[in-house]
Amino acid sequence: MATKPISEPQSASSNKAYYGPEDVNGTDYAREIADPGTFPFTRGIHPEMYRKRTWTMRQFAGFGSAEHTNERFKYLLGQGQTGLSTAFDLPTLMGRDSDDPLSLGEVGKCGVAVSSLDDMRRLFDGIALDQVSTSMTINAPAAILLAFYIAVAEEQGVGPDKLRGTLQNDILKEFHAQNEYVFPPRPSVKLVTDTIEHGTNEMPLWNTVSISGYHIREAGANAAQELAFTLADGMSYVEHALERGLDVDEFAKRLSFFFDVHNDFFEEIAKIRAARRIWARVMRDKYGAKLERNWWMRCHAQTAGVTLTEQQPTNNIVRVAYQALAGVLAGVQSLHTNSMDETLALPTEKAVKVALRTQQIIACETNVTQVADPLGGSWFIEQKTNEMEAEANAIFREIDDLGGVIGAIEQGYFRRCIADSAIKQSVAFDSGEAEVVGVNKYVEDDYERIDVLKIGEDVEKKQVARLTQMKRDRDAKRHKESLDALTKAAADDANVMPFLIDAAKANATVGEMMEVMANVFGRYDGGPEW
Amino acid sequence: MVTKSTFGPLKQEEFNDELFMTDHPIRILLAKIGLDGHDRGVKVLARSFRDAGFDVIYTGLWQTAQSTMLAAMQEDIDVVGVSLLSAAHMTVMPEVLRHRKELGIENVPVVLGGIVPEDEHRLLHEMGCAAVFNPGSSIDSIVEKFKALAAQRRRLSFDEAIAGYKSKNDAALGQLITYIQRDQLDNGWTPPDGSAKVFGITGAPGVGKSSLIGKLGKAMCEKGFKVAVVAVDPSSPVHGGALLGDRLRMMWGEPGDNFFIRSLSSGKQYGGLGPQCAEVIRALNGYGFDYILVETVGAGQSDVAIRDVVDKTVLVLMPESGDSVQFSKAGIMEIADMFIINKCDLPGADATEGQLKSAIDANRQICRVSTVRNEGIDVAAEHLLSQ
Ligand SMILES: Nc1nc2c(ncn2[C@@H]2O[C@H](COP(=O)(O)OP(=O)(O)OP(=O)(O)O)[C@@H](O)[C@H]2O)c(=O)[nH]1
Ligand SMILES: [Mg+2]
Repeated sequence: MATKPISEPQSASSNKAYYGPEDVNGTDYAREIADPGTFPFTRGIHPEMYRKRTWTMRQFAGFGSAEHTNERFKYLLGQGQTGLSTAFDLPTLMGRDSDDPLSLGEVGKCGVAVSSLDDMRRLFDGIALDQVSTSMTINAPAAILLAFYIAVAEEQGVGPDKLRGTLQNDILKEFHAQNEYVFPPRPSVKLVTDTIEHGTNEMPLWNTVSISGYHIREAGANAAQELAFTLADGMSYVEHALERGLDVDEFAKRLSFFFDVHNDFFEEIAKIRAARRIWARVMRDKYGAKLERNWWMRCHAQTAGVTLTEQQPTNNIVRVAYQALAGVLAGVQSLHTNSMDETLALPTEKAVKVALRTQQIIACETNVTQVADPLGGSWFIEQKTNEMEAEANAIFREIDDLGGVIGAIEQGYFRRCIADSAIKQSVAFDSGEAEVVGVNKYVEDDYERIDVLKIGEDVEKKQVARLTQMKRDRDAKRHKESLDALTKAAADDANVMPFLIDAAKANATVGEMMEVMANVFGRYDGGPEW
Repeated sequence: MVTKSTFGPLKQEEFNDELFMTDHPIRILLAKIGLDGHDRGVKVLARSFRDAGFDVIYTGLWQTAQSTMLAAMQEDIDVVGVSLLSAAHMTVMPEVLRHRKELGIENVPVVLGGIVPEDEHRLLHEMGCAAVFNPGSSIDSIVEKFKALAAQRRRLSFDEAIAGYKSKNDAALGQLITYIQRDQLDNGWTPPDGSAKVFGITGAPGVGKSSLIGKLGKAMCEKGFKVAVVAVDPSSPVHGGALLGDRLRMMWGEPGDNFFIRSLSSGKQYGGLGPQCAEVIRALNGYGFDYILVETVGAGQSDVAIRDVVDKTVLVLMPESGDSVQFSKAGIMEIADMFIINKCDLPGADATEGQLKSAIDANRQICRVSTVRNEGIDVAAEHLLSQ
């Protein structure tokens, strides 16, 4: 019922007062670490890192109606943000329309409501889609939202080959952690493979999957589990794409990752360094990628929402700053910094600005951008990186023994591991072993409250009215034909992407397309629970 | 035993100590309502409550206010905990409390956990929430609050429960079953005879018994029958508490209100059935159900106890588990009247059916179904009804 702020070191198996050369004895510099920009890229994927180009500052935005979010997008672009990031509301995330009975009270609350092409068109009104890079945090209905985006771009005269951005589209972690799945695991992964195939053939600049550890971590996993589960998911997508007959050197460059940056400063940096090393090795040696860029583990990172506290909320600015610094020292490609009020509600404009400024201060004022991987060669960091890698390898073996990622999902492995870790953290917090400032340490009874943004109920009413009108006005025959074609494509195991784009243009809604596919694929009840 | 029939919460000196004995665990329901999938907190809590000796029913994701309160009524829940981590509590909680009232179970306290701004706490209390917990509340404080609320809950007296049972009040039936299960029928009351057909649904752990019962029950209800389910899950031998997980799968079939599901913990009794199971079935029978489906703890070879309390036994199997045939070979295999191979969406159904056919005589029915794909359910229901 209640989640807890978390602060304790999470998966450290070694815990010494100091580290020295003997802790990294067996570690060969050229083979294990190597210069930045050199295989296995432990130290970063580019030799010059942020000297050449700083990371992309990408703040997640989306709330209320398409118009509201469109305004926020324009505001953020005006403030110097360099990429758009869209949060959808719960109904959309679950593949349901705004007028679905289960959507009641949720429309536009935690993100923007997009049920149809019409909503998507208003969301990006006045924003030239060949000029921005857009990231869309959406999973179960990801292919449908991509279809909307492609259709809107086409209306602007922008071809799919010009579109830049990222679709989260990582359904596997939904089964482990976030629970926004609809179809059973196997057809769900088939849909992801459809988008990978479509992207590879038609959208060379588009990142088709953002393989995400963030939600796994926020659900309670420790750092090693986050690392291992995420990379295992990545390998699973690669294997499915290979099975589809795609060339690894064609699609791998469009897979990217998304990690959490939590409180344990050095462990988080080691985690991301280890991720780069493991990924480079499997891509080159296990999957036979030949192009160097396909060995790169490129990642987005976000500061850890679960560490924010409702008590003394301005302290959250400090937490976010440390976490952001860890992300930068780890060499991430893009970063979202949380706003201080995110535990309470959607962030206010002021809070979002402070969060963005936090990144800008790191980039402009601290000089940490002047050298790549400044912590490389620290005995502690290198030992910790090795330790993370070893823990991840042990977890990979467990997953293999269960028949791979899908087998492990079906046996409840991930959920069980994550719940076990969450319980440990909860016990540590309750006992005071894990200290959280303002919550079980340095507590003040009376602390400053902050303003929170509330979404009016009229957003839902207007959205539902608009949707009803749209359904009435659309060409019923074309609409039905497009859905029939989609049903057939799904049943024939064809790539559904072209059919989704067609249905999008025929004004079929998210909920309708999901329903049609669910009739073929089935709906998943979550698998083993404990 | 609680026999007081004054109204209003019990006073401190009237607290019912027996409720705290592990023989009579407090029964709580934890629910997630709406589309919000953040279940980290609710799962930590479910396990903590079990370890504290409670019987815990977690109904899973995507429930409605109505399904939640209906469950609370049927299961005779002492405290309902609703977890809402999206921003929908001011929409959802009034709905929950409205259904509580409509079902006549205002004696069941409802607790909310979620991200609730300061100014809304008061509104929620006024509305009728017994407590509101924000992120950061300690598990211990939540457990203590649930204990206190359970102790104050005004239950029907035994006589009131019987009277309600006679007038076909489902809430009274729910409470009466608790009395029966606790063996507190002290005045020699016996239920009237009924004409229900009782099916035992058994099979290895995880073959999909509960999912199947959810779908079969729904199919039977759609034909106009009144269906009751008794689902038995094991108690933890360590803590005495239990996570009663069957209902979660059955709700997936979105049962309506002529579908009465009751989860029981096996307590200290082993052999596939909980204490007083036969008496609970008799009471349901006398209440007027047409069919009663009894799910037993994943059956092992020795678990043939079910046969004594049911009319017919259905053995559920799944593909690719030569094991499940193996597992069931002795005992259960002989007594089963019908076989259902579930999960036929998975590879290996033919092989399993072949194995099964060679292990049994020809005149017993074998059905193939997939509950996820909703395939074969109607046919299986037909065969069941004609047994
Ligand atoms: N693939 C597939 N999985 C199914 C099907 N039916 C149920 N399952 C899955 O099987 C698992 C167990 O289902 P339950 O209904 O809980 O099985 P059970 O036999 O009642 O389990 P216990 O009560 O724990 O012994 C769940 O994860 C279901 O999602 C099906 O038709 N196909
Ligand atoms: Mg079951």
